[in-house]
Amino acid sequence: MAIDQTRVDFDHRRFTKGLARGLAGALLFALPMFLTMEMWELGLYIDRSRLLLLLLVNIPLLILLARRIGFENVATWHEAVRDASIAYFLGLLASAFVLSAIGVLSVEQAMPEAAGMIAIQTVPASIGALLGRSELGRRDDDNDDEDAQDPVDDDTQTGYGSELFMMAVGALFLGLNVAPTEEMILISFKMSPWHAIALIIASIVLMHGFVYALSFLGGHELEEGTPVWHALIRFTLPGYAVAFAISFFCLWTFHRLDGIELTQAIMSTVVLAFPSSIGAAAARLIL
Amino acid sequence: MAKSSKSRSVEKGGGHWIEWLTGSVSAIGVIVLIGWVSFEAATQSDGAPDLSVQTISSANRDGGYLVMFDVENAADQTAADVVVRGEVISGNTVVETVEITLDYVPMHSRTRAGLIFRNDPKGRSRIFATGFSEP
Repeated sequence: MAIDQTRVDFDHRRFTKGLARGLAGALLFALPMFLTMEMWELGLYIDRSRLLLLLLVNIPLLILLARRIGFENVATWHEAVRDASIAYFLGLLASAFVLSAIGVLSVEQAMPEAAGMIAIQTVPASIGALLGRSELGRRDDDNDDEDAQDPVDDDTQTGYGSELFMMAVGALFLGLNVAPTEEMILISFKMSPWHAIALIIASIVLMHGFVYALSFLGGHELEEGTPVWHALIRFTLPGYAVAFAISFFCLWTFHRLDGIELTQAIMSTVVLAFPSSIGAAAARLIL
Repeated sequence: MAKSSKSRSVEKGGGHWIEWLTGSVSAIGVIVLIGWVSFEAATQSDGAPDLSVQTISSANRDGGYLVMFDVENAADQTAADVVVRGEVISGNTVVETVEITLDYVPMHSRTRAGLIFRNDPKGRSRIFATGFSEP
């Protein structure tokens, strides 16, 4: 696309609308975390190198996500980076605004404290902003553009890597919401290992059922004559592995695994992998 | 998985070898996970939490004498609301008592905490767990 043409076509109304949608998405998706006490506390005590890692991991994640489901015409990596930066900043704005509005942040607070509290909330909020810009805007006036783009999208959609990536986003999304809460470790303390095994199997069955068995809109079907276990091995089990890895990363980032023995850490991860895997399955349907 | 039309997408029959490789590795991972947890389930004992306290360091701060310690739980059961008491003793009398409650000491794990004494605890203190509840 020529630069001159972009300038001519630039529509201020549309651009502002896009930003507003981003903010709306950030609020919609991250509000549960803004209102979670553990997240405020984490902002204070989270190890700064783990926070940095989380903030850095978020950058390629947003760029890939923008490229994959991006709003408007994300045809190049250049535009994906632009959209990702905007989403990151909108996430920052949203978390600073909401945390101030609910009185969690105050002017007297020390700078490192306030920065930590805002930064940790920025990650889910920015993912929300990006999803909001595309998902919320999809259903009305953008339909024409999207239809025109469909052939391009179909190429990327069928990619195995992008399928796993979308599952990772879905897992991160639902996982991040519950990972900071004390309930995750409390449940794992209450559970026996037998409960954990039941939970692993339930997660996998639900994941598979979500995508293949229930006839949701956007669900997947197997080609005629393909055995059911093919999809289980090729999609559902890798999906669970992704959800499990993401859950482990979230718990580690939020200091839930510090000083904890391996088996107990695995049990906590199994608990978090339950919502994460459902998030992963849902992402295959929705995104 | 179409983007805007939301039609049901059809998975191809064969599948690339990378898909099968990823799938096999994941399947092995899940089997190992279930196997590991099963092994733990079979070998775990129902014994009550077994708590012990090790002092890590002590330092003189402005607010008093800070003693850092680890509470270790050697049993297969997690202890919650663990009350740890520290005492400074002079002869047969207890000069000072401080107390802290730890949220959790998970099985086979340790939790670090600190107690602050007003009197110098050096060589005449003891720190011990006094109770817990099941989570």
